[in-house]
Amino acid sequence: MSAVLAAVPPAVLVPYETYICEACGYVYDEAVGDADGGLAPGTRFADIPDNWACPLCGVTKADFTAYAAPSLAVLRARAPASAAVASARGGPEGVVIVGAGRAGWQTAEALRALDAELPITLVTTCAGDVYDKPLLSIAMARSLNPGSLVKESGQNAAARLGVRLLAQTQAVRICSDTRTLRTTRGNLRYDRLVLAHGARAAVPASLPPELCWRVNHLAAYQKLRAALGDVSQVGPRDVLIVGAGLIGSELANDLALGGHRITLLDTQPQPLARWQIEQAGAQLLEAWKALAIRFVGGVQVSSLEKVGPRYRVTTADGQRFVADQVIAAAGLATPSRLAQSAALAWDQGIAVDAATLRTSDERIHALGDCITVNGQASRYIEPIARQARAIAAVICGTASTPYEPRAATVRVKTTSHPMTLH
Amino acid sequence: MNPNDLPPELSREATAEHFLAAIREASRGPLAAVVESIDRTGYYPRAELQQLGALGAMSAHLDAPAGRGDFGLAIRAMAEASQVCGATGFMMWCQAVLGLYMQASGNPALSGEALMALARGEALGGTAMSNPMKSYAQIETLLLKAKPVDGGFLVNGTLPWVSNLGPDHACGALAGVVDAEGKVVREVMFLLRCNAPGVELPECPSFSAMEGTGTYALRLKDHFIGAGEIMADPAKPFIGRIRSAFVMLQCGMALGVTQGAIDSIWAVEDQLGHVNQYLDDRPAALQAELDALTARVMKLAETPFNPSVEFFIDVLDARAHGAELSLRAAQSALLHQGARGYLMSSAVQRRVRESHFVAIVTPAIKHLRSEIARLSAEVLPA
Repeated sequence: MSAVLAAVPPAVLVPYETYICEACGYVYDEAVGDADGGLAPGTRFADIPDNWACPLCGVTKADFTAYAAPSLAVLRARAPASAAVASARGGPEGVVIVGAGRAGWQTAEALRALDAELPITLVTTCAGDVYDKPLLSIAMARSLNPGSLVKESGQNAAARLGVRLLAQTQAVRICSDTRTLRTTRGNLRYDRLVLAHGARAAVPASLPPELCWRVNHLAAYQKLRAALGDVSQVGPRDVLIVGAGLIGSELANDLALGGHRITLLDTQPQPLARWQIEQAGAQLLEAWKALAIRFVGGVQVSSLEKVGPRYRVTTADGQRFVADQVIAAAGLATPSRLAQSAALAWDQGIAVDAATLRTSDERIHALGDCITVNGQASRYIEPIARQARAIAAVICGTASTPYEPRAATVRVKTTSHPMTLH
Repeated sequence: MNPNDLPPELSREATAEHFLAAIREASRGPLAAVVESIDRTGYYPRAELQQLGALGAMSAHLDAPAGRGDFGLAIRAMAEASQVCGATGFMMWCQAVLGLYMQASGNPALSGEALMALARGEALGGTAMSNPMKSYAQIETLLLKAKPVDGGFLVNGTLPWVSNLGPDHACGALAGVVDAEGKVVREVMFLLRCNAPGVELPECPSFSAMEGTGTYALRLKDHFIGAGEIMADPAKPFIGRIRSAFVMLQCGMALGVTQGAIDSIWAVEDQLGHVNQYLDDRPAALQAELDALTARVMKLAETPFNPSVEFFIDVLDARAHGAELSLRAAQSALLHQGARGYLMSSAVQRRVRESHFVAIVTPAIKHLRSEIARLSAEVLPA
């Protein structure tokens, strides 16, 4: 027995291993060796001299690491389904929609209702999941788990509507001369383009974006909730909210009902200052007396810093506040990148014709939070479905009721004191 | 006509046209004569590059007295040469960014006579920044390490595939500065002279279209760099300042390779137009797209040091568009030319391989898109 063992080269008893060059990806296989580099088959990595060089790129042994290539099955399973890529050339042109919020999905629904065959592609930076954004303001009052806010996954909605969904994809530029939308997953030709990318939360210059939350979409809200933790386990947190408009006031109300201690700052003397005539702020402050909400009006935030695990906010008049989390709720601003790239008319947002929601480019429509009609944005839920139907009718060439802007009725979802304002 | 008699704007334009005409002549004459040996036998066109250098073709973007302070002109010069030879266009970019580093360094040892020699094409060199750029985009880790010593650093490590090098060349390089435990604490950028002690240039295997580009690995063993070599320490803010200019200059290759491809489509239109009319990507459509892209790049070139993220995204996207367009144009040229474009000696055949290079050289199309995605993401607390 021992004689047989001795006849077998001892190296074979340990399986051969592979090592990868970190610079160029060349894989050294101990079983194969490197004939040109003077390494016989079976040469163990440990036995390679230090001056040996990668046969492809010339780096030395020190830049190699142990590596086992996964099987093809593993690689296939790993490729995320969301990472679909565009294949502009040869594909159908149809309609391309940018944005998978309510405006984007409503447009897809309205188009599909009118035309079963129309190719529709939806491009979105998020996962494309369908949810009701207003719930982000009342999730705690309703004891909704942030994970349960998704009504339908983006993939399912896309399958139901026969829409090609490019999720986690950034729309970068519109080339209106070739009717192409450039994205980070390839380029899309369009016959009609619909911009439904919404607005982004504005971040005041005094607040570093990496230190403060903005709650304008589900993913950011879920991250904020995760950072706050479960009150029943970790206890209440001090949350400072900058801006006591609609969103700031609703969040303050909801997070307070969820057990957190809120400090709400605003430049105006009362919250909801836009509706001062209706005394909205005064009513709210009265209702909040029972809650852990401290409103500090008439202050301008001058700085936000991280101090240990907490944050310190300083105002221009020298007041200091310390909080576990800081939220900026200082209004919305429409990103101008896409509109500018197509030289679309711009008036505080993408300027559209009220009746048809057409931009200054006849093949490009826009709706929702990113548009303005006569310089007025109307960032509410109610108009979106009507806008989507008007766009779908124009694109599909069917008769429709043109979109008509109406004075918005605002339902303030401060659950401790709901209000309807005009 | 004497350009001095014209109003300043017209005079500058007339001088620019005169300048480009000289580059065109050098490209279509001496460079065209050696393009096949560059491609097929790996001839390194030192004399041809130096002639282009003497004309100011690789220094037009530099501030006076080294250059004309015009990035648009530098890109157009690179496009002129790339139309004839993509490999030479690439070497011009290598040389142009080395000049950019040296001038931006503000180090008198680098921005004085050394820079002038480079600007005139007397000295040649390149850039070893592919790995650092990918490191900043969080794609790779740094391969060179610098250990602080008295008066400077000792640099160790090996970089793969650095172009426009030779025994008497130099390049801009970057190393991670390590502390006593070997942890990278910051980065230092420096001029690396290929003939300095501790520097070796191992040969690389054959490349598809870049055989004549003087491409080597760079192996450093206890290579000393001191005050005379330092370009930036720390290097990160420096890279932030020049990143748009660095990427923008590469557009010259894409514009030139694409124009060369369109030209070879027109070259067979008379004989083959009756069948070529059935192909995708016809020359007029390609030319319109190229002209629009050129206009866009020229606009970006007016403000090469705009520090904003949005501007950098625009530059990255223009560069990606250039790579995509050159791929399509080169492929289309091959389909338009048919069998004659399939001859190994055909410029069309070579240009297909050159367009592949434009698409894969750092930053490759995939890097550009990934970086745009990274830079576009909303910044939130960790």
